[in-house]
Amino acid sequence: MKSFSFYPGCSQLSSAREYGVSALEVSQKLGLRLNALRGWNCCGASSAHMTNHLLSLALPARNLALAKKTGDDLVVVCAACYHNLRSARARILEDGSLAARVEGILGADPRFEGRIVHLLDAVVEEVGLERLRDMVSRPLEKLRPVSYYGCLMARPREMMDADDPDNPRRMDHLLAALGAEVRPWSYKTDCCGGSLSLTRRDVVAELVNRLFEAAEEAGANCMVTACPMCLANLEMRQSEARLRFKRRHDLPVFFFTELMGLALGLEDCEEWFSRHLVDPRPLLSPYTRA
Amino acid sequence: MSVMASRTLGPVGAVMVMGGGVGGIQASLELAGLGYKVYLVDSSPSIGGVMGMLDKTFPTNECSMCILSPKMVEVASDENIEVITLADVLGVEGEEGDFRVRLRLRPRYVDVDKCTGCGDCSEKCPARIPDPYNAKLSETRCIRVPFPQAVPGAALIDPDTCRWITKGKCGNCAKACQAGAVDFGQREREETLRVGAVIAAPGYRPFDASRKTEYGYGVHANVVTSLEFERILAANGPTLGRVVRPSDGREVRKLAFIQCVGSRDVTVGNGYCSGVCCMYATKQALMAKEHLSSIEPTIFFIDMRAHGKDFEKYYNDAASRHGVRYLRGLVSGIRERQRTKNLLLRFLDADGRMREEEFDMVVLSIGLEAPLDMSEVLEIKTNQYGFAASDSFVPIRSSREGVLVCGAAQEPKDIPDTVTQATAAAGLASQRLHCARGSLLTRREHPPERDVGGEEPRVGVIICRCGSNIGGFLDVPAVVDYAAGLPGVAFAAERIYACSQDAQEWIRQAVQEHGLNRLVVASCTPRTHQPLFRETLRSAGINKYLFEMANIREHCSWVHMREPEKATRKAKHLVRMAVEKARRLEPLEEGESAVVPRGLVMGGGVAGMNATLSLAGAGFPVYLVEKEEELGGLARNIRFNAAGGDVRAYLEDLIRRVEGEELITVLKGHRVKDISGFVGQFKTLVEDKQGRETLLEHGAVIVATGGGQYQPSEYLYGSDVRVLTQWELEERLAEEDPSLRELKRVVMIQCVGSRDEERPYCSKVCCTEAVKNALALKRLSPSADVYLLYRDIRTYGLREDLYREAREAGVVFARFADGEQPEVLERRGNLRVKVKDADLGGEPVGLEPDLVILSTGITANPDNAYLAPLLKVPCNAEGFFLEAHMKLRPVDFATDGVFLCGLAHAPKSIEESVTQALAAAARAESVLCRDKVVAEGVVAVVDEERCSGCGMCVRLCPFEAVTYDGEKKVAAVNTSLCKGCGTCAAACTAGASRLQGFRSDQILSQIEAAAAAWRD
Repeated sequence: MKSFSFYPGCSQLSSAREYGVSALEVSQKLGLRLNALRGWNCCGASSAHMTNHLLSLALPARNLALAKKTGDDLVVVCAACYHNLRSARARILEDGSLAARVEGILGADPRFEGRIVHLLDAVVEEVGLERLRDMVSRPLEKLRPVSYYGCLMARPREMMDADDPDNPRRMDHLLAALGAEVRPWSYKTDCCGGSLSLTRRDVVAELVNRLFEAAEEAGANCMVTACPMCLANLEMRQSEARLRFKRRHDLPVFFFTELMGLALGLEDCEEWFSRHLVDPRPLLSPYTRA
Repeated sequence: MSVMASRTLGPVGAVMVMGGGVGGIQASLELAGLGYKVYLVDSSPSIGGVMGMLDKTFPTNECSMCILSPKMVEVASDENIEVITLADVLGVEGEEGDFRVRLRLRPRYVDVDKCTGCGDCSEKCPARIPDPYNAKLSETRCIRVPFPQAVPGAALIDPDTCRWITKGKCGNCAKACQAGAVDFGQREREETLRVGAVIAAPGYRPFDASRKTEYGYGVHANVVTSLEFERILAANGPTLGRVVRPSDGREVRKLAFIQCVGSRDVTVGNGYCSGVCCMYATKQALMAKEHLSSIEPTIFFIDMRAHGKDFEKYYNDAASRHGVRYLRGLVSGIRERQRTKNLLLRFLDADGRMREEEFDMVVLSIGLEAPLDMSEVLEIKTNQYGFAASDSFVPIRSSREGVLVCGAAQEPKDIPDTVTQATAAAGLASQRLHCARGSLLTRREHPPERDVGGEEPRVGVIICRCGSNIGGFLDVPAVVDYAAGLPGVAFAAERIYACSQDAQEWIRQAVQEHGLNRLVVASCTPRTHQPLFRETLRSAGINKYLFEMANIREHCSWVHMREPEKATRKAKHLVRMAVEKARRLEPLEEGESAVVPRGLVMGGGVAGMNATLSLAGAGFPVYLVEKEEELGGLARNIRFNAAGGDVRAYLEDLIRRVEGEELITVLKGHRVKDISGFVGQFKTLVEDKQGRETLLEHGAVIVATGGGQYQPSEYLYGSDVRVLTQWELEERLAEEDPSLRELKRVVMIQCVGSRDEERPYCSKVCCTEAVKNALALKRLSPSADVYLLYRDIRTYGLREDLYREAREAGVVFARFADGEQPEVLERRGNLRVKVKDADLGGEPVGLEPDLVILSTGITANPDNAYLAPLLKVPCNAEGFFLEAHMKLRPVDFATDGVFLCGLAHAPKSIEESVTQALAAAARAESVLCRDKVVAEGVVAVVDEERCSGCGMCVRLCPFEAVTYDGEKKVAAVNTSLCKGCGTCAAACTAGASRLQGFRSDQILSQIEAAAAAWRD
């Protein structure tokens, strides 16, 4: 298998630590060679674009310059970083004078022309679903997840390369390969209100509530995502939703890599699950007891 | 002027028509009627196209196949139209007059000459495929007749699923076929056709709805396309016409239609409007309600494009009387409720609020895309959307001489416009090829007819087995025995397929050997097979009207499949009835009348002049009668068309050609005073300003009397010089009036004199005209504010690009609701326009423009009212002439020999008038090119002794075929015009009027025979 450069992103080390750890452990188990970019910096996805336009380009561009030097394709785990790196790259490649300015700031060439791939796609393409299925030691039969991709991986359509911007299927296929009973639903890329999580909790409550209602109607007992911001939002705001809409949801939300780790028999997973705000351990007891 | 393309013999008198949809079918029939050999080529196994898949057609709500299949049968029985199916055109070499068309013929694996379409093979075929005729909503067998009315009515095998072809196993079909028609030895081959012209009618590709991922087509079970829904509505479709949804088969209550899927959408590369979806969605909503009155349809749309003839009325009725809910606003996304599989649609309502509403089923009104490969195969230019690039005044002309394009391949359009273009294309081809007219036709030669007068009736009865269709469900030998014992029957026998080629020969011999003078065939429906057997009888030397059919298939074996004894008994009775009638049949004559090979065109506008030039171009002298002193009509007021073409120059050229052509006699300043006669022999009296009369004799008439412009009195027009019509503005734009550059603000108002109480129709051209002028204003004065106040923007088809350009240029479009017309006032010397912006919740907006431009509508010519009775043709409620059939005969009248084009028919653009004129000329040419008009044998006759002269039949005849003879004081039937409908005979209380071949005694004998048989 070929090797990739790897951009972890800030949340992997902190608020979404379980994502970061599980992503690396799972990749190792699958034989995916991910080499973290040395000296990587924050991509600025959360606040840079509201602060300074040039900064919002230069921050991700520095990582692109680092990636360019390695000569490998770049794997990204966090959906927001993924989106941000791709859009910065697109702008740099289409606007020559802008690229020159950024290059001047960085002192390095940011025109990265390799592929920027989400870990989800890297697993499906490089490892393949058949191989993944064969490596599963703990099929997740009692899990009925809905896949929540969030908006950042799907839009803008032309830039993001999703298999279907309204009904992506990669995560569904991956979870099915892990043995789960994936539930179909139409809210895979609906906004969770992540960017308003701190400022407009009323809006978020409504959006989150709608997502959970739909998940429950779809017969799901958990939600799986690939975006740390989404997960944080979905977990944190369930209580908000309960307050405003008088509906209790208590639906655990996972990163897909966590479930991969569980299915592949990795030992550490219990530790990751303890970090969640909505405790998923009762749901996972059939698997973890063994 | 006919083209001499080859050095030796002149143009080839044959035409290839590419595409067998309604356009191709129409073009083929027209060309054959004009005397040319036709090769009708289609890539699918049957002609019929998309129209063959529709359940109903708008705005008449007629059954689509019912109006199409007679034309398909006509094509099948015309010996000068060669239908070549499963064929792809690879290339067209050569030039006008002499083309060589290369075809790839794919194997059908069934011999079309032997196959009778009985279906025995399908019964035994184990392999199934999704049925393309049912939009893949159901399955059919790998070997099958594509649909019951297919032409050719033969089976075909799908090579990819056939077990014999792929694996060498099975072969059930070959064993089941009693005609030995299955032929696995067929291979793909190439063929070259030599023709003088090519008419391309390849139709369209439906938009792939899965590209609009937000609608979940292919993901959500209950989201279907309009084509799929059409099949669901069809009585012969996958649900037998029940409006049920795919996920659970339950009846639908809340039904949503989403318009503009794949049209007016630059994100999928289709910026144009598909022109037909607003109307077809309305139709589908109405038909769904007809099937199930509890259905609640909602149509989500942007603009309601009801711009064609009678469309506005159709739309208004749907909304106000039939419970169709129209919601202006498109759906942004569809989500599925997992438990019920209902759909949640998100949209902005009329007040701009975000709403989500739940529906049971959603129909996506998909657009029409251009067919592939046209430019390669035909070597013609296509536009950015892939449609054929065409001449802005003559859209059927492609970029290559001799290759004409019609139908949706030229631009998305509906059936009447397609039929008009197809007819026009035939006429245009004829103009080039007419010196080769008739050169490649085959005519059947028959032996002389034997006079059977005075002979005892000797009836021959053939009972057909139709493979197992009849033979498998009733006792055929028993029916044969029964028939043999009936009085008058001299010969009775059975046959596996009475309609096969060899059977015709056998019948002919039997008639001659046994001295038969009447023939009864007991088989299927006369609708498809009567002409065939009549011809066979005639080829045996017997008058073809001495033939009768008994339908023991559709009326017997197919509906009584589980009761063979009763079915046998019924078949015997049906045969007995037919025999009784046959015994009383008499030979009928087909009357002939002469044709004066001259045309007359009423009206010298764009339509009239084009029709005149077309007829003259085909070699016929023509009279052109124009009431004004100048030619040109309404087009004299227009400077540019939507594509920027110079109308004035076009008009001048037209007038010059008309006045310079020897075969054309122009009579300016003349009015029509009286018309008498009938097809082939008209006499028209015209009168000039001085009252001098001239009598003109001609064989056909083309009505091109044009229309008028609405003269407004509202909006201060006439009292304030700053209020103009679009044409007045256009004049100033064309003259480059410098004051236009100073303009700061202009307001245009749409629908002035249209879509109102008095004139409830849409004038079709005004939206395009306004947008065109708005763009011109912006070009002249980019800083000017241009506002366009509208109710719906109807820039249909490729004109949609102009609307988008106008928006991009900064023209402001503001909508007002019906009933909330804008107000134009004068305040302290300034013009003030007040309008309630419907998209802003009715918020009142005040504007102070320098100019107000009114988009005035087109009115019917008041002369139509006095011309109509002279011509014996009707007008509709709005004063425009009424054609014979809105869908399939858009330039004909029910009265033979009279044709229609231009604004006299309905509001339309210049290029549409030109096309219709060419079509009317083609139709007139089909009359004039014959040396005689032959009437049908089945006509009405009047027994003068019994006729009391009450005139009832004269009033009732829909074809104006019965007149009152003032001298004899009785009714007289013109057999050239009579269509044998029998209305007069049925109405006649004295029994004086009789329909030949359907006399009372003949019909009564059948009833008595049935009763007697029952008693026995």
